[in-house]
Amino acid sequence: MAEPVIRVIDLWKDYADDLTNAPALRGSSLEISAGEVVALFGKSGSGKSTLFNLIAGLDHPTKGRIEVEGQDLELLGEKGRTNLRRFRLGFVFQFFNLLPTLTAFENVFLSLELAAKPDAAVARDALKEVGLAGKEHRYPNELSGGEQQRVAIARAIVKRPSIILADEPTGNLDTATGNQILDLLTHRCRESGTTLVMATHASFTCRYADRILRMVDGIVVEETSGEVLAR
Amino acid sequence: MKIVTKSFLRYLPRRLSLSLLQLMGVACGVAAVVGMTMSAITALASFTKAVEFLSGKATHSMQRPAGPTEESALAGLARDPAVVRFSPVIDRRLRLANGDLVRFLGVDPFLDRAIRPEIADAEVRPAKDNAAGALSFLLDDDAVLIDKELARQLQLSSGSLLQTTRGALRVIGTFSNPSGEPLVLMDIAHAQKLFTLNGFVDRVDLILADESGFRGRWEEGFLIQSGRQRSAAFSAMLGAFRLNLEALSLLALFVGVFLIYNTAMFAVLNRRRDTGILRSLGARRYEIIAAFVTEILILGFIGGALGGIIGYFLTRFLTALIGTSITDLYFFLRPEPSAWSNWILFAGVALGCGASMLGGALPLLEIVRTDPAKALSGRVAGRQSGRNAHRTSLAGLLILAVSTVLLILPRTHIYVGFAGVFGFLIGVSLLTGSVLVAIHPGLRWVLGRVGRLPGKVAAGNIRQNLGRTAVAVAAFMVALSMSVGLGSMIGSFRQSLVWWMESQLQGELYIGKIGEADVPESFYEEVKKMPGLGGADPYRNVQVLYRDVPVYVASVDASVVQRFTHFGWLKGGNENWEQVKRGGVVISESFSRRFGIKSGDTMTLHGAHGPAEFRVGGIFYDYTTEHGLLMMDRSTFLRVFGDHTINSLAAFIDPDNPHRLELIQEIKKKAEARGLPVQTQSQLRASILKVFDNTFAVTRSMRALAIVVAFFGIAGALLTLFMERRHDFGIYRALGFSTGQIATMTLLEGLGMGAVSYLLSMGAGTILAVLLINVINLRSFNWTIFFYPELGPYAWTAITALVASLGAAAYPIWKVCRTYPQMQIREE
Repeated sequence: MAEPVIRVIDLWKDYADDLTNAPALRGSSLEISAGEVVALFGKSGSGKSTLFNLIAGLDHPTKGRIEVEGQDLELLGEKGRTNLRRFRLGFVFQFFNLLPTLTAFENVFLSLELAAKPDAAVARDALKEVGLAGKEHRYPNELSGGEQQRVAIARAIVKRPSIILADEPTGNLDTATGNQILDLLTHRCRESGTTLVMATHASFTCRYADRILRMVDGIVVEETSGEVLAR
Repeated sequence: MKIVTKSFLRYLPRRLSLSLLQLMGVACGVAAVVGMTMSAITALASFTKAVEFLSGKATHSMQRPAGPTEESALAGLARDPAVVRFSPVIDRRLRLANGDLVRFLGVDPFLDRAIRPEIADAEVRPAKDNAAGALSFLLDDDAVLIDKELARQLQLSSGSLLQTTRGALRVIGTFSNPSGEPLVLMDIAHAQKLFTLNGFVDRVDLILADESGFRGRWEEGFLIQSGRQRSAAFSAMLGAFRLNLEALSLLALFVGVFLIYNTAMFAVLNRRRDTGILRSLGARRYEIIAAFVTEILILGFIGGALGGIIGYFLTRFLTALIGTSITDLYFFLRPEPSAWSNWILFAGVALGCGASMLGGALPLLEIVRTDPAKALSGRVAGRQSGRNAHRTSLAGLLILAVSTVLLILPRTHIYVGFAGVFGFLIGVSLLTGSVLVAIHPGLRWVLGRVGRLPGKVAAGNIRQNLGRTAVAVAAFMVALSMSVGLGSMIGSFRQSLVWWMESQLQGELYIGKIGEADVPESFYEEVKKMPGLGGADPYRNVQVLYRDVPVYVASVDASVVQRFTHFGWLKGGNENWEQVKRGGVVISESFSRRFGIKSGDTMTLHGAHGPAEFRVGGIFYDYTTEHGLLMMDRSTFLRVFGDHTINSLAAFIDPDNPHRLELIQEIKKKAEARGLPVQTQSQLRASILKVFDNTFAVTRSMRALAIVVAFFGIAGALLTLFMERRHDFGIYRALGFSTGQIATMTLLEGLGMGAVSYLLSMGAGTILAVLLINVINLRSFNWTIFFYPELGPYAWTAITALVASLGAAAYPIWKVCRTYPQMQIREE
């Protein structure tokens, strides 16, 4: 079997400033291979976003180890983790998280600029691929929710990362738009061989995944199939 | 430009009104510093220029330690081998008919040519009725030359009459005067007549070839000063005054920096989410720092440039105020505001950028520390927890402790005192978060009573948005504290001065005026003999050097003063005059503190016949000079200095004298017959208070400017709160809040923050006043001001706080009225 592109081993996360609640992660472990489309299914507060933040190197685990593309995140250091996000990881958020002062084009171009590949044509092509040709100069507040999420997807895929982490990518969209977004995202990732990990609490998202991981109270408890979930 | 930077900078035009408020805050802070500093520099440069111009090429000056110098000394000087050139001078002030005071020099045109060649090159144009031309300067008793600027101002030309309190003088020509100080010149012989100084001159300006030889021959009985010593002595006189101007500038800068900190902190809170997004996309910390620094530097650059321009116009106003104060308190000075220079713009930009960087340092640290995961989750977005507020307060308490140590350290430099005061203000401002948490229930009750539900929500908003409200309240509190503190200090000083006047100025009439109109000795003898008069005190005040530092010596009639006045003594009572009657002195508190001299000590002064020793009989409170004043009996003064000049004569009449009023009228008549100015006790006191009020005009201007700066701060805070709560407004609208209720809520937020700022400033301002009185004034001027609590500064500050809060809320309320009816619950 190929070396996993993401490996999480016995991961714990306690928020120091939140002593009243149980740890957000309580010994989670998982492995994801290159090119896989994985759904991380669980209720709100089950620890999905915490796990994503840790995999992206945005936060530090209390205990445990994370390897991305074979590299231990803790050993990478701050600069190494920033480089990982800059070149190898793409992010899609539930609330889109576009910069409000930049146009659709600039939001996408920003990603290229950070990855040291500033090419306006590539940014425009990415927007065209997600169906936003002609809307490049609109600001986020001039776009619908679905359009904003398309910009976020373009921003994630434009730099051709090896992994995309999508945190509730349809959580703020209606079902029809959500399906369109998932279709676009998974299609694009499969086409380019990009690993896609989607955190979700909506079962319909799981239909787009090759593999489904269930998360309950901070632990990845089981690997299940779409049919089981549907039942 | 990098997209990261662009994403930050776009906030400036997008939130234009907020950007403009921030810009104006920076501009006003910079304007205060530029205006104040430039005015002080201009005034002091003008002073240096005047001293240099009037000294001309003279290397030294010679005069009696006190009073005029006998003309007979000139013959000896003419023969002295060390003297290359000499020029006797009468150096006085002359009051013009329009009330202005100008400098008056009496010189010998032939001797003075070598010392002040510019004056010798005066343009003398014969007038139609003045066939003598230049010779008339020597021949006519009333002939004067005036400087070109004065001639222009008074619209005088050759042949015109210059009206003065000493009669009309005929202008026979004009001369260039680069010092900017209005100057009138007369031949020395005529000047002696005009000022009744026959046989005397004020000093002799010298060009010496051999200083040590000259000193060896002339030092006994004369004060010989080099140009550098004279200049240093004058500069030393302005030391405390200059220091206070600098402190005022620093206070203005402090409020300015605080506001920039306020502004930058808002920017950080606004950009927190963006920072999280950028970090998640792989932006490095330094890229975000660069974007943030660019943003605050742009505000600093434009605000600084604008501040430089406003400061330049402020200079035109402040320079005149400072000139008036220096003239009233020290010596004649009429500085001209400096001309526009691009350096002003440069200084403004440098200050704006520097202050922005200083004010932005802590917020920058905050942005560096931003946890991207938390920022993205919105867990800390803009809301400072009570725990954070308490942590900040602990830092505040620590700073207060350090400041207290700085303030109680004895005998430290005044700058240590200033550091302590600034530390106190910073420390108190860091406590505001905890105070807002602590008083929240009370504020909620009060605002709830005033505005019902919107009032309660307003109180909650102030508590919930501590990150923004605490900083704005702190900035406003500091400005209001300055208002209360400076107001109370000035009020207490004024009351102390009134007490001093009541204790010392007990005469019925005061005849003559220091520096303008001396009282002839014969008049004193005449008045003294008037039947029914309680006593007459011939007052002479003269500057001498003690330990090479300028101080003042006053001569009085100790018996009269002992009988009729009630000096405020640090120890003992009017029995202290007994020592004075026996040939000793009493000294002012400032003299005692400055030189460490106590009652019972012995001190030495250089008199006309060499060193003279005096025993100190007592120490009295005094506010006439911070340089130190010592008083001796006239008999002692005449023996030591041989100076018979009387600056003013105080006439005392027993209160139970049945002919009191008639006696007063008679003395007045006698004085007027001799052309001597007469002031009643109340007139003299009023004129002293006028000088006092003029002196603090600059302070009042700075106080007002600090309020304006803080106004922009609180307006910015309210506008930020409004902008960030648009989402909440949608919810309020869905819940059925009317536009009026939301406007009330916004108004009460402003008033609530204003009220808390004011309440805090009452305490902080009172402590500030005590510190200004007991630390800054005492260390700067060496005198004790008694603290008199007054309602005035508190009431005035309350009105200011109310108006500023209402004004600050006005724009957000207008925005509410305009936009609220269209607001909906929106997606993030």
